[in-house]
Amino acid sequence: MAAFQLLVNGVALGAAYALVALGFVLVLNATSAVNFAQGDLVMAGGLLAVALAPLIPLPGIVLLPVVLVLMAGLGLLLALAAYLPLRRRPPVSVFISTIAVGIILQNGAAILFGPEPRAAPPLFGDDTLHIGGLAIPEQSLAIVAVAGLLIGVQQWVFARTQLGRRLRATAQDPEMARACGVPVTAMILVTFAIGAACAGAAGLLLANRYFVTPTSGGDLILKAYIAVTVGGWGSVPGAVVGALLIALFEVGVSSVLSYPMALGALYLTLLAILVLRPQGLFGEAVRRRG
Amino acid sequence: MSALLTIRNLTAGYGGASALDGVSLTVAAGETVALLGANGAGKSTLLKALLGLVPARGDLRFDGADLGPLATEARVRRGIGYVPEGRRVFPGMSVRDNLEVAGLSAARDRARDVERVFALFPDLALKSGESAWRLSGGQQQMLSLGRALMGRPRLLLLDEPSLGLSPKLADEVFSAVGRIAAAGTAVLLAEQSAARALAVAPRAVLLRLGRVVGDGPVASLSEEVLRGAFFGG
Repeated sequence: MAAFQLLVNGVALGAAYALVALGFVLVLNATSAVNFAQGDLVMAGGLLAVALAPLIPLPGIVLLPVVLVLMAGLGLLLALAAYLPLRRRPPVSVFISTIAVGIILQNGAAILFGPEPRAAPPLFGDDTLHIGGLAIPEQSLAIVAVAGLLIGVQQWVFARTQLGRRLRATAQDPEMARACGVPVTAMILVTFAIGAACAGAAGLLLANRYFVTPTSGGDLILKAYIAVTVGGWGSVPGAVVGALLIALFEVGVSSVLSYPMALGALYLTLLAILVLRPQGLFGEAVRRRG
Repeated sequence: MSALLTIRNLTAGYGGASALDGVSLTVAAGETVALLGANGAGKSTLLKALLGLVPARGDLRFDGADLGPLATEARVRRGIGYVPEGRRVFPGMSVRDNLEVAGLSAARDRARDVERVFALFPDLALKSGESAWRLSGGQQQMLSLGRALMGRPRLLLLDEPSLGLSPKLADEVFSAVGRIAAAGTAVLLAEQSAARALAVAPRAVLLRLGRVVGDGPVASLSEEVLRGAFFGG
């Protein structure tokens, strides 16, 4: 029974991490740039939901579309300010500029909201469902359902629409995509918007059960980075699976030991994976053939 | 025939090094022109410069419009298709998606264009759902050609289409090029294999060290000029 409850909690946390990692890997693939502001975008999404809650006193699910749209706008601004002007410079330039954006977001949030932890409204309600001796928080199920839906929609768009094909072509070979008539710069902007929207959604999902502070993004970018490394650098399914594994590991180990011990064990496991299987779980699934 | 593409005094290069030096030539609507020369003559650079993939100076006109200020994707949308050296298909996408992504028309017309490509290359139809990286080199070359056709180009730029292919596969590719040209699409074909190129192109432009050293109907180009383009002298 306890194990099943832990599993539900782990999957819920993993679903939210998966959104963070998904946004991270989409931008990574489209631009070859590591967006170190991704964790702070999650924080911004959470605090945005906190700020919107008094203005729209309805369940969090109603706030979700507003958060998605506003965060997509923030993603566009991030691309315009921190990526496009530096895209032809060495990769370290974007690396640093996204760190700078993250610091700006953290300090801006600290000025506006203060350092105290805040909670966003639950997606539907904060009751606990009792099923056959199990006590499952409604919010956990809602997180799994909403994150699953968002990831499913994203996958459908990428697999079945012309926009998705263009985004994938841009990620695989931007110069060739241009030579096929794809407006690559616009696709990169769209990718940043989707990445930030994913982060914002994760922020809203996490900020109810796990609270949000201006500095909570630092931990999340590490989780996204680890998820993408474990899953296979650049692999979209790998990022999602990696995020789920991290969360299950974190919840499982911390239930037996403690959260700091779980984090330590997570980093040790990451080191082991890097040594034993550096390409990650889904790495090198795609190869060129002469 | 009226000129579809006019190039005047084109200079292009990489970094400080110049790969093209004052190149001028024209391609008429529906005409097939072979671009011949040794390795490093500037053939690939010329095709890339036409698409805006390398920095270039000079006057480039396509159907009367100045290409200079246009981005690569805008040039493609005006009717220039490109088949790069080394195929460069999108490896993680299916054959059908590789074709569809290059379609510039609405969904229904795009589906018709895919069927037209499948009719031209039946092998691709059989592999429609497979990832492009699983295809053989020849199939990838056909996919690259088909992808360029999805934009319904009036001018097709082909860069070394026989490179790395067996003679049999190269024959198949050139047979397809011949059919595309016969259907009225102008073709500018950069190729090291002069024999293959001249079999489909009635006119040739010879490049040597970034300069045009010969331009005219194949019959008018002496063996000496051809040899000079490839081996110097």
